[in-house]
This record gives sequence, C-alpha cells and structure tokens, in this order.
Amino acid sequence: MSLQGVAAVRVIRTVPRSPWATAWWQYARNPLRLLAASVALLIVGASILAPLLAPTRYDVANIEESLQSPSSRHWLGTDAIGRDVLSRLLYGGRTSLEVSLAVVALALVIGVPLGMAAGFGGGWLDYAVVRLVEVSTALPALLLAMLLISVLGSGIGNTILALAVVAWIEPCRLMRAQTLALRNREFVEAAWALGASTGQIIRRHILPNTVGPLIVVVTLTIPRMIFAEASLSFLGLGINDPLPSWGKMVSESVSYMQVYPVLGIAPTIMIALMVLTLTLVGDGLRDALDPSRGQRGGGWR
Amino acid sequence: MTSRYLVGRLAGLVVAVVTVSILAFLLMHAVPGGPFDETRSPLPPAAKANILRKYGLDQPLWVQYARYVWHALHGDFGIPYQSPTETVLALIARVWPVTLVLGAIVVSLSFTLGLTLGILGALRHSTWLDTLLTSLATLGMTVPNFVIAIWLIYIFSIRLRWLPTGGWGEARLLIMPAIAYSLQPLAVVARYTRVAVLEALAGDYVRTALAKGLHPAQVVVRHVLRNALIPIVTLLGPMIPDLFTGSIFIEFTFRIPGLGKFFVTSIFQRDYPLIMATVLLVAVLWSLTYLASDVLYVLIDPRVRLGARGR
Amino acid sequence: MSGSRYIAAAVVVLLGLWGVGALSATTNAVGKPLPADAAPPAQQVITGLTQPATTLDFFVSVYKRPQNVDGNSWSDVLSTPLVRLDKDFNLVPAAAKSWEASKDGLTWTFHLDRSLTWSDGTPLTADDFVATFRLGADPKQAWDFAWFFSVIKGWDDAVKGTIPVGQIGVRRGADPYTLVVTTTMPAPYLPGMMLYSPPLQAKALAGVGPFYNTDPATSVSSGPYLLQEWTKDQRMVLVANPKYGGVKPSIQQVVLKFADLKTEFQAYQANEVDVAANFSPADLQVIENDPALRAQYHQGFGDFRTYYVGFDTLHQPFDNLKVRQAFSHAIDRAGLIKNVIKQQGIAAYGFLMPGFPGSQNASLQSVQMYNPALAKTLLTEAGYPDGKGFPKLELWLRSERALGQAVGNAIGAMLKQNLGIEVEVSNRETKLFMDELNGHRLQLYMVSYGMDFLDPANMLGIWLSGGRHAWVNLRFDTLVKTASSMVGDPVRRMAMFHDAETLLVTDVGFIPIYFVTPGFMWKPYLKGDALRADKIGVTAWHWPGWDGLSTLHQSVYVNQDVSKYRR
Repeated sequence: MSLQGVAAVRVIRTVPRSPWATAWWQYARNPLRLLAASVALLIVGASILAPLLAPTRYDVANIEESLQSPSSRHWLGTDAIGRDVLSRLLYGGRTSLEVSLAVVALALVIGVPLGMAAGFGGGWLDYAVVRLVEVSTALPALLLAMLLISVLGSGIGNTILALAVVAWIEPCRLMRAQTLALRNREFVEAAWALGASTGQIIRRHILPNTVGPLIVVVTLTIPRMIFAEASLSFLGLGINDPLPSWGKMVSESVSYMQVYPVLGIAPTIMIALMVLTLTLVGDGLRDALDPSRGQRGGGWR
Repeated sequence: MTSRYLVGRLAGLVVAVVTVSILAFLLMHAVPGGPFDETRSPLPPAAKANILRKYGLDQPLWVQYARYVWHALHGDFGIPYQSPTETVLALIARVWPVTLVLGAIVVSLSFTLGLTLGILGALRHSTWLDTLLTSLATLGMTVPNFVIAIWLIYIFSIRLRWLPTGGWGEARLLIMPAIAYSLQPLAVVARYTRVAVLEALAGDYVRTALAKGLHPAQVVVRHVLRNALIPIVTLLGPMIPDLFTGSIFIEFTFRIPGLGKFFVTSIFQRDYPLIMATVLLVAVLWSLTYLASDVLYVLIDPRVRLGARGR
Repeated sequence: MSGSRYIAAAVVVLLGLWGVGALSATTNAVGKPLPADAAPPAQQVITGLTQPATTLDFFVSVYKRPQNVDGNSWSDVLSTPLVRLDKDFNLVPAAAKSWEASKDGLTWTFHLDRSLTWSDGTPLTADDFVATFRLGADPKQAWDFAWFFSVIKGWDDAVKGTIPVGQIGVRRGADPYTLVVTTTMPAPYLPGMMLYSPPLQAKALAGVGPFYNTDPATSVSSGPYLLQEWTKDQRMVLVANPKYGGVKPSIQQVVLKFADLKTEFQAYQANEVDVAANFSPADLQVIENDPALRAQYHQGFGDFRTYYVGFDTLHQPFDNLKVRQAFSHAIDRAGLIKNVIKQQGIAAYGFLMPGFPGSQNASLQSVQMYNPALAKTLLTEAGYPDGKGFPKLELWLRSERALGQAVGNAIGAMLKQNLGIEVEVSNRETKLFMDELNGHRLQLYMVSYGMDFLDPANMLGIWLSGGRHAWVNLRFDTLVKTASSMVGDPVRRMAMFHDAETLLVTDVGFIPIYFVTPGFMWKPYLKGDALRADKIGVTAWHWPGWDGLSTLHQSVYVNQDVSKYRR
C-alpha cells in the first residue's frame, strides 16, 4: 500500500444514489461488517426472544443438579444452585444490554450537548462545564451509589441512574475538545462567513467529525457499564438475584474458575462478541454515513 | 493562551477542589453507618456516643467541616480510623509510591504498545491485521482485570509454579500484576488511537501533503499524528491519573500494599479522614490532568483558542 | 580472681551445656523439646494469610485484629488472658491458676500465676489487668466491645462517664497476684467471659499508649509470641517468646501476610501458606476431586455460627405466625447441605449448634421440618393461596461471599418454587445492612451469628427484645434473663434455656438454616495434638484458632515431610 495510491483512488467513485442507498452500499460491500451486523442482530434478537429460546426461565433452580458440567440436558451446565446457564445467559443478555444501552444513551444525551455548548460558547459556559466535569470526576462514585441505594432502593432504573451519573463525563469532554479544535478551522470559519446558523454548523461540520471517536466511546462504555452494573450488585444497587446479567455472571464465576470455567467463559464470550460486533458495525456506520470518508477509507486497503 | 488564562484555570482548580470537598463531606455523612461496629447488635447509646465523641462526630456537620478545613490548611489531614498509629499523610506517603511504581509500568507498557498497535491498525485499515488487532483489543476491553488476574495465578503459580501468587518487594512479583493491569488500558489506547488516526488520515491536509510530494512516513508523523492527538489526549489523558491511583482488585489479588484499595476500604469502613484525603487527592490530580490536556490542545493545534468567547 | 571471671566461667559452662542440647537437635529456639519426627528448628515456621488489621490486642479493638474469618483467629498471641480454652472447649487456667466465687455469686477472685512475666522482665500482676479493664471502660478510648462487660459493677456507669474508671469492679486483691471482679448480679458465666481478658501492660499503657503492640520497638508480650516485624499492609512476623512462663510452642515463627482471603486457597495450592480456610463451593469441588487435598481437609466448629433467615415479625405480612410457619416449612435444609453447603455446614433446626452447651437440634427438628405441602396449606390459611396477593420480597444478605450468596439465592428459589412468592436476593455492604437490621427496617434477611463465650446466655441473648431482631416475646426475655444470672441449679438453668430456644423456634422468630462447620486445610507436615480427634471426633483446628485465647498452638509442630513441599 502506498499513500500516493490512495490519493489516486479517491476520485474514482461518484455514482449518484439516494443517501440511504449510498450508506447501505457503503456498508454492505464489506462482508466482515455484514457478518458483524448479523451477529450483533442475532445476539440482540436472542436476548429479546430469551423467553421463547431459553430452555427454562432464569429463576428455575434444581439444587439436586447444582454445578453440572455441560451436557445434552444443560448445554452450558448449571450454576451453584442448579440453574441452567444457557437460559441465564440468554436472559442475562437482556439485562446487560438494557442497562448498558440505556446508560450510554443517557450519557450521550447529557454529555454531547453539554460538551458542545462548552466548546462553542466558551467563556463562563466553558468554565462552568469544566468545573462540573472536574467535580463529577473526583466525587467518589461508590459513595454516590451507596447514598442512592439507601435513598431510592434497588431497581433497574436506579442502577441505570447510578451509572449514568458518571458515564456522561467522557462524551462531554470529547465533544468539548473536538468542538474546540474544529470551531476555528477554515471550513467552519467559511460556513460562518456564509451565514450558516449554529445548528447547521453543528450538524454539518462538528458532529460528522466527531462520530468516529464517539463511536469508540460508546463501544468502550458498554463493557464498562456491564461490569460496573455487576460491581454495583455487591452493594445491592445492581441487578438482584434471580435476574441474571452478563457482568454478574462473570464476576460470580471468578471463584468457580478452577473447576467450572464455563460459568465465566460463556458470558465473557458473549460480552466480547457483542462489543466486537458493535465496534465493527460502528466503524462501518461511520464510513457509510460519511460517504466522502468511506470512499477514502476504501482506498486504504 | 496567556498567563492570565493559567491563573484563571488554577483558581478554577481551587473552586473545584473546594466544591468536591464539600460535596464529598456531605455525601459520606449522608451514607448510613459510621466508624463503629454494629455487626453483632446495636451498640448501647453510651458506647456509641463515646465513639462519636472520640472522632468529633457529635458536632454539627458544618463545625466538623470547618475544623477539617482549618486543620487541612495547616497540613493536618487527620488520623485514618483504619490505621490509627499513623497520620493520613504518612499512610499516603507509604502506599502511594507502591501504586506509582506499578502505575508507571502499566502506563508505559500500555501506551507504547497501545499507540503502536493503534497506528498500525489504522494504517492497515480494514485488513485482516486490523481486524485481528480490533478483536484482540475487544477481548482486552471485555475481560475484566480480576478475571485475568485469577487466570494468571492459576496458570503461573498453581500449575507451573513459576511465580508466587502475590507479594511485593521483588521484581518478578511485578510480572503478573503488570500484565493483568495493563491489558485493558492497552486495548483502550489501541482502540482510540486507531480511530483518531483514521479520522486524521481522512483530512484534506493529508492529500495536500501527499500532493506536495512529502514522503508518506513524514505525512504520518507530521500531519496525521499531530491531528490525531487531540482526541487521543482528551480520551487517554484521564487514564493516567486513573492508573496512578491503583486498582483494588489488582492490589487485593496480588497482595500489593498500594493506595488503590483505600479508595474502597475507606468507604466501606466509613474512614472519614481517609475518604476525604483520597477524594481531595483525586480532585487535584484530575483537575491538573484536565488543565494539562487543555494546554496540550493549544500546543498541538495553535488554532485552538482557550478561554476565548464564542460567537 | 575477680567476680566477673566466675561469671565468665559460668557462661562458658552454660554455653557448653546448651551446645550439647543443640547437638541432640530436639529443642527449638525457646528451648521447647521437639518431637522425634520434627523438622529442624529453623523449619518450625507457619505462614498464613489474614485480613488487614489495626491491632493485635483485644482491648484496643475487637473487630480490627488479624483474623481469618470463621473464627480462625491469629490475634492475642502477645498476651495471656486469665483463662484459655482447650480443644474440647474446657476452660483451663492461664494467667489465673485458680478462681472462686463468693457465696452470693457477686464477687470473683482470680489467683494469678506468679511465674508469669512480660518479655521486658516485669512481672504480670493484677495491676496489669486492672489497667486493661479501665482502658476498656474509658469513654475516651471508646472501645468497640465495651458493651460486653456490662455485668461488671460500675462498668456501664464508667462507660457513660458518670463515674471515674477507677471505680469499676475490677480491683487488685490482697496482693499483686490476686484480682477481684465484682458483678451487678450473679454471673456464673463470668470465668468463661474472662477468655477475653488478654491484658495490656500497665507500664506500656502509661508510657506508650494502647497501640504499643504495633511497633516491635515498644511491644511487650506476656504471651507465647513476640512481635518481630509489622510491615503495614504486607506482613507481620511473630517469634516465640523465650520469657514466656506457660507451655512454650514448638512453632518458633509465625508469618502472617495481609491479604484478601479470597486468594487463600490459591496461595495454599501454590504452597505459599501452611493453612487455609474460607472455601467457596467450587474450592470444595477441587478438594473433592483431589485425594491429596481431601486428606488435608479438616472439618471444625468455627465459632458455633448459625446462619438463619429472619423477618420483621412486627409488621405485615410476617406478623402472621402462619406466614412465618409457611416460610419455615418451605426451605429444604437437607437439600442445601447436600448440594451447596456440603462439608461446610449441618442442617439447623434450632439456634444452638450440636456441641454447644444446651443444644437440642435433634429434638427441635420436627418443628420447622421441610414440608412444602404443609407450607402451601399454611400460606393459604394465612390468606395467600399460591402466594397470590403476597407482596414482592427482597431477601437481604450481609456481604456474603460465594457460598453465602449461593445459599441465599437457593432460598429465594425455594420460596418461589414452594410458595409462589417472588423473592429478589440482594447482597448488601455490611454497614448498610447492619444499619437497616439494627433499625428493624429489614423485612426479610439472612444473616449469621457466632458465639463470644460458651454459654447459651451468650447465643440466646441476641434474641432479647431491643436487640437487632424485630421479634418480641416477653416470656422468652424472662426465661433467658433469669437463666443467665442463675447460680446453684445448673439443671434448672439449662431447662430454662431449652424452653426459651423452643419458644423462639415454635414462634418462628427466625428460620435456622445451617450451622457452620468451617473447613480448614493443613499441610500434611503439620502435626500435633490440636489436629488429633477431640472428644466428639473432630480433627480440625478449633476456635479460637492460632490465638493466645486457646491452648491449641502449644502442640503444633512441623514434621520432616515439610521438605517435600517448601522450596
């Protein structure tokens, strides 16, 4: 591969299509990304359809069959009190995806506008947001979670809340930094000069240039939240038993690692697959939604 | 960027630290329980009152806070309830260097490897190598360090008997904690770097530079990396104070006498002086990191104007 | 010829004799003769893990001493309490050679062993005990165990600050070697309580303060060991005390590494420690699968700990006896033992574990027997057929590790299965849990309780109203209080405790789940009387473990097989 080659390739494809078709075409021409999307859909689908697919409900226990190795009856074996691990894995995906996606959504909804406002507005607004970020980072999340649990009690909503309290910081900082870097660029200056509104500038110039790093933040936040939820469950703020979650299944498996490694390996693989496919889909989406970059990106092969 | 800006930021740091200290103070007192043990049954009122009096917890909260600040300004951060034979400062001076040693190893390991792999992945975008690196990084991000730690101990200590399960004071004792602790930051650094470099590669200046006939390697170093640095600094900067304050899982699993576990044990034991000290330490450390990254933005990209008023 | 030459000559002769002794290679560094199969003295070392600790001394803090949970304590070896426990749980003389009560049962006189000294040469006297107890009652010290000695005259007033600590009922008797303790009511269990009398030295307390034992430079010992090293957060090294007047230990060095006890079994498998406890269900499986490990596993008593489910019996729905009975019949203890708890417990039907004085586990078995059909009927009678209309429950656990979590989860599943009631299981941080429990705000929980001293008064006393449980029964209160202070009629006393426990179980004040029989692993090269079968055939290390409070450590030694394990 050579960089000169890239420059040459870049000008070639300019077939007129509708934007969605272009995006789809951009995305679908990479088989790996297609595979990733199908696996991600499969995982999400299996999690949603857990009640139909799972051999048993997640809370059906038969202690006479505790800690069994995988067999034809229990494909992934059973846990310490004889619950079917496969069933719990399917239901666990539901909880983990629900919690982590909700937290990520909240984090973006809070963090992105705040960071952009700080970077754009500058002055006192920037000052206030930076202080808010500093204070929120330094406040011990553990204490906060403990207070939340003693005031609000447990429940999936409160778990999400306790996690979102911290999760918004990273997207906020990223957006602020990107906005700071972009707002004085030539193309933004030019847009201002042409009389573009702030909203247009954000939509056309700031957001597209931030999508890549934002996608990484999202894909990194998801596993982080899956495990943060598990550690909150130690405080009783996470997901209570019998409802399973992948993060909880992994952390509970640690003491069973030596004899029943499947208890930990199965949920770990699920989390890894989910995150990997999301990463690949995210990469693909980024390229697909920004055709100019996609064409160039294609040239880098 | 002016020195006025820096002074303003440092004043902001003080504001942030004071705010954090007030919030943390209120927060820790709002959480039920205290530095007394009621594991068996409720303490008789007299015994409980004695404990509260001993630690000055019988005073109104604002008095306690004012006292704390007054003493702290004189360099007295109190005595940790968990370790009453030393001061909070002495405890931190004893355990933080341990964490810093491990943190330095982890930071250098994960950043050198992570940056290299990230750049490599971006330059080989969408090739099998890139996919492989992405998959490995994903695994590194999704397998928590306590799981890696247990596997390492099982393989290298119990099965192969190559390394002791834990401890501190010999170089070989650093091997397993460094690996277990580095994998996740390494993966994160690689991921962010890859994307940031990819974004930068798409910039018009790359084409311009290439058109001008610059050597590709020069383009990567001078233009691509430079432009990739802002998101890298933003997202990776905070990892450094994080790694330099340690991890309870790593320290507990490998018996490392570091600072990390005190962030958690101080809270579980309601060790108020130590909670305050760790919170303040983190507040200062993070504020400095944020300040440093803002200053770095300007150094990296002179077009960034800090503190300027928007339109 | 000057006097000093005589001394020199005497030293030479003595050294020669010592040399002869050393040549026969049967004594360790403190002159204790080692058994014939013992490893060389340099190998008489035991290494263990322990939770991070603040102090070694009981009277400084009870809950922050080096312990291995489940009663395998490592603390108090720098001190000799008035009495100790032998492995059959008999009270045996330690610092006190004998003791007696006055006719009215209110005054106890302890006669101290005059041969005992501190490691700095100062004799151990009643003044040390007096100073120690005054420290315990001192409101400024604010001791975390101050409630324990409230039976001592003036104790509670001193704790409240209404009388000076000098006026508490712990005094020097006719001579420095007589200690007199007076109580507010007859307390036949007082000598048993004196297990918790490991003294601090009056001189060091006055000179250095209560934490003198955290630094080898200021540490003094009246116990079997001396503090040699305490590297905070890392390790503590104890060496045998040459000046110790009691039975000297064969093990001349104890190394304690501070750690999270989750890692204990791994360190044991890697041959880095000699003892281990705290096994998860999976660890037990590893042990079961390996004959060598199986042979090293010993089942013990711990601190006679009972795990039980409790409720808020003062409010709906658990104010209804039928509901409580339904719950008590819905939990399959035998199934839990067989499949989850395994060797680490026995099914509980009462509060007092077999082997504990007053236990009647077998005769209480029928009261809360597992009977799902009966449980369903009772719940229907209570107005909740098939659990319909029953509020959703949250079963709280107190910072349980793998085993406790599995048991809690299994109980939740059984209640759902047998009664149709939805139960969430929530594992909470200790202080949050205790705050809620002590405030009587917990509707349903599983928690455990272990003994302080070997008398039903101690275990059953936790159920008196106004304590941590939301269960009130005035007849129970009267029975336990009367029996606790009863002297002269041990048979009637025990009968009253039996009645009280029966009342507690039939009123379903709680649901006993299991008695903890913690497993201990000992490397096969550790030998000694402590590991031979006791009077009921148990071969494990007994509570209170490697501790100045027991005589157990006196007999343990490392035999020659150690060379196959240690590198």
